Amino acid sequence: MMDPAIDRVLTRWSPERQERARAVLAAYPERRSTVMPLLYLASREHGYCSREAMVEVGKITGLTSIQVESVASFYSMYRRQNVGKYVISVCTSISCFLRGADDVLAAIEDETNTPDGETSDDALFSVEHVECSGACGGAPAVAVNWELIEGVLPDKGRALCQWLKDTQPETVLADEMQALFGGQQSFDWGIAEPQGATSHVPAFERYDSAGDAS
Amino acid sequence: MADTPQPELVTITLNGVDTEVRKGQLLIDAAEQAGTYIPRFCYQNRLKPVGLCRMCLVEVEGPRGTALVPSCTQPCTEGLVVDSENAVVHKAQEGVLEFLLLNHPLDCPVCDKGGECPLQDHTVAYGPGESRFVEEKRHYEKPIEISDLVLLDRERCILCARCTRFCDEISGDSLIEFVDRGNGTQILTFFDEPFASYFSGNTVQICPVGALTAKPYRFRARPWDLEAIESISMVDSVGSKVSVQTSQNQVLRINGVDSDTTNHGWLSDKDRFTLQAIHSEDRLRVPLVRKDGELVEASWGEALELVAERLGSVRGDEVAGLGAARSTNEEAYTFAKFLRSVVVTPHMDAQLDDALSDEFLAATLNRAEINDLETAGTILVWAGDLKEELPVLYLRVRRAATILGATLIVIHPRRTGLSDVADHVFTYRPGEGADTLRRLKAGDGPFAEARQALDSGPVMTIVGRTGGAEDPRLAESVAAFARTLPDAAIMPLARRANVYGALDMGVSADLLPGRVSVRDTEGRTALEDAWGPLPEGRGKHATEILQGLKSGDLKALITLGADPVGNHPQPALAGEAVESAEFVVSLDTLLNATSARADVVLPVAGFGESEGTATNLEGRVQKLNRIIPPPGQARTTWSVLDDLARRMGATLGAHDAETIMKEIASIAPAYAGIDWALLDWGEGRDGVVLPGPDGTQPLQHMPVETSVTATTGRFTLHLGRVLYDNADVVRNSPSLDVLVQPASAAFHPRDLAVLAVQPGDSVRLAGDYGTVELAVRADESLAEGTVYVQANMDNSRALGASLIVQVDAVRGEGS
Repeated sequence: MMDPAIDRVLTRWSPERQERARAVLAAYPERRSTVMPLLYLASREHGYCSREAMVEVGKITGLTSIQVESVASFYSMYRRQNVGKYVISVCTSISCFLRGADDVLAAIEDETNTPDGETSDDALFSVEHVECSGACGGAPAVAVNWELIEGVLPDKGRALCQWLKDTQPETVLADEMQALFGGQQSFDWGIAEPQGATSHVPAFERYDSAGDAS
Repeated sequence: MADTPQPELVTITLNGVDTEVRKGQLLIDAAEQAGTYIPRFCYQNRLKPVGLCRMCLVEVEGPRGTALVPSCTQPCTEGLVVDSENAVVHKAQEGVLEFLLLNHPLDCPVCDKGGECPLQDHTVAYGPGESRFVEEKRHYEKPIEISDLVLLDRERCILCARCTRFCDEISGDSLIEFVDRGNGTQILTFFDEPFASYFSGNTVQICPVGALTAKPYRFRARPWDLEAIESISMVDSVGSKVSVQTSQNQVLRINGVDSDTTNHGWLSDKDRFTLQAIHSEDRLRVPLVRKDGELVEASWGEALELVAERLGSVRGDEVAGLGAARSTNEEAYTFAKFLRSVVVTPHMDAQLDDALSDEFLAATLNRAEINDLETAGTILVWAGDLKEELPVLYLRVRRAATILGATLIVIHPRRTGLSDVADHVFTYRPGEGADTLRRLKAGDGPFAEARQALDSGPVMTIVGRTGGAEDPRLAESVAAFARTLPDAAIMPLARRANVYGALDMGVSADLLPGRVSVRDTEGRTALEDAWGPLPEGRGKHATEILQGLKSGDLKALITLGADPVGNHPQPALAGEAVESAEFVVSLDTLLNATSARADVVLPVAGFGESEGTATNLEGRVQKLNRIIPPPGQARTTWSVLDDLARRMGATLGAHDAETIMKEIASIAPAYAGIDWALLDWGEGRDGVVLPGPDGTQPLQHMPVETSVTATTGRFTLHLGRVLYDNADVVRNSPSLDVLVQPASAAFHPRDLAVLAVQPGDSVRLAGDYGTVELAVRADESLAEGTVYVQANMDNSRALGASLIVQVDAVRGEGS
């Protein structure tokens, strides 16, 4: 039997996410083990990993709010501040750096008028530099809502921003952006990810958080 | 209870010396017992080891050569070869300290911990002396107030996690945690939510640096200026061991002392911070005598003469005594002796008819010790909310359920502090306890699993009155059932610090000193040999005393640290009784609702000011010590009573408290052989548990079995206690006074709908003893038909404790 405290939280969520949360809860023997996937779901529900989102995850997992925050604050991919519709992450680790990532970052900051680590006034873009995206063979790499584009040069970066501004797609898709703005790819990633991402919360197939228009 | 098996021993080589230690014992503990202290920060013997700070690294020989291992996570095995003092270990210790000091501010001169700081001490003893780190240290806003009691200086924190582990493992209030783990790791609460734990003071005590400080002590003293003495907390009946620390005759700090038998070193914040009441401006310092309706200062001679004259002008059995439940055994004994042999009255009560019967408390068969929790297979708690009433006992039960794996069954009218860790939780409507017990016994429906668990012993049962309005005989019925369970151990609960001692001393309508029934002719004769002729028969209990005063059957009342007007379940009766009494004399430390109406008020010594013994809820007699003089002209209770007796032409023979104990030992059968010398340092430091009743004891109390009529219609009242209530010591401790929340009326949400009220609305509660208006609250854990009100609060006291109350919504007029 599900704890009524869990129901009280989940019934506030969208039906799809409620269902996902219940599937996650069913997958673990201990409730507290679900804290990380639930933080993604709650972030989707609230737009980001807000205070309210952490309180709700605490109620579901039986942890106190501060125990949830202790987990959430360790991982930079749980956004504890609200971010733009498109989070552009420029890899500046060694391979990308050697291939001119700093220029790519500068171009994107300039084109979006958003300094590194900040969100644009119209809440369309957040720009950040990140550590290794795992795409060294296709450096420099840029990700939009964790959808990865390889071989992005500064002018392609500008074009990418312009395109996002003009078309404002609800779903961004790695393959599509790769074709439009990408360059050299490291290798074929194999698994097709046709769903794309609809927010800065990573579109992990496992948690089925993709393809869900928030 | 089961015998503890002999531990298996192994031999380890510690710094070249072969040492026999317990197999599996942690190396850091084994070494300490063998006389080798290994420095540590994160390791605390009552918390699980985590190996976090690396300060306790030692070199251990392994199959592939030697390696540095943290001794707090290394179990002892046969042939373990350890070096804790060689150059490699020293280098590691220096390295650890250099790292810890990278960001630690060297503000020791203004830090409260300076002088008793493990980081400071270890740096001197094991540190490198100089740091190679010349960059800017970390800075944080300081201090931040994480609760009304605790302040946090984050830059001093060395991230040992003692505080967070205490909250997680021991108290269960995980309200502080590490956040921003990484370069900016820090301890924080969740946004602006306070660290509102009843046990927050313990984190301050175990913090190995000055990161957590308690407001009441901050900047009040330097450790080297403090004098300390060991004593027993007189806040509740657990008898927690404390260190009372003073400077210039002011008690500035109370810390927990680790005792295997009682508190494991932990205290509630009430134990810790009510010290402020000792030096309250309102402490009584001189005798007060009522003249023209006003209490005015008087000399001891004048006040005592007046009391002697007034008590002498009425018949002995027209006088009654209430109190002594917060006094020492010696004081309580003197009180009982004064009443029975000088005033010659049988009417006295250490309780206010708000807990369990005297005989049940004093002489339960199969009486449990707190440590029976360590070996219990199943624990049944059918009592008040332990977290609110006896917080340290709550910690011990919680430990048994979470760490030791006992099956915990909690039965109470609503969810309690233990519900989260209990295996089986049952709630019931007050008044329907007998039916609930019947169903538990039968293993009826939802009770089946719990009933099965009660078959695997040893079964420890903690019984008490779940709320002020509940029939006290229910607890005896529960105990009668509990006695039938395998390896049964039973702990009947009362809260007041030395209520068990006061009953043992004979401050009771039913009991003579030493757990002798007043009906026991043999015991009575023995006492008369020592005390002279005693009043006949059984005396009146608290409620009967108040009724007697009101009707005029009784003329005079003596209270000793008791406040019937403030605390008796029938507040109106108590008020009228004190008003009607011809003469009321109060011996107390603070003016309360009763003593404020007394004719004479005599100031007496309180906690830390008088020496003696106290008997806790398991029957353990422990020593209380004196470290400061009483304020002003206040005197010890026994000397006041002795003086009074002489003025009434009698003598109590009370020359000093230690002699009184000798007299108790010679007169009270259960206390035979108890001696102060026995309870001092060394062997008797943890006190002595008095033998429970058996064939040779004069009193055998067999719990009665009764059924309480289940009530229908209207609401039944659950009058439950909360830790920070209207108690004098809380009200006179500014740090705790701010934590007192007004009472409210809680209902199940469906009852709210029936009453057509919303949380925040007001309802009027009318019971047999009074009427109050309270704000409404929803509480899903309550059974329908129940209203839960916090007992003993300013705005709930007038209600009294009647089981049935009429509830009506209060509609705002014209709004």
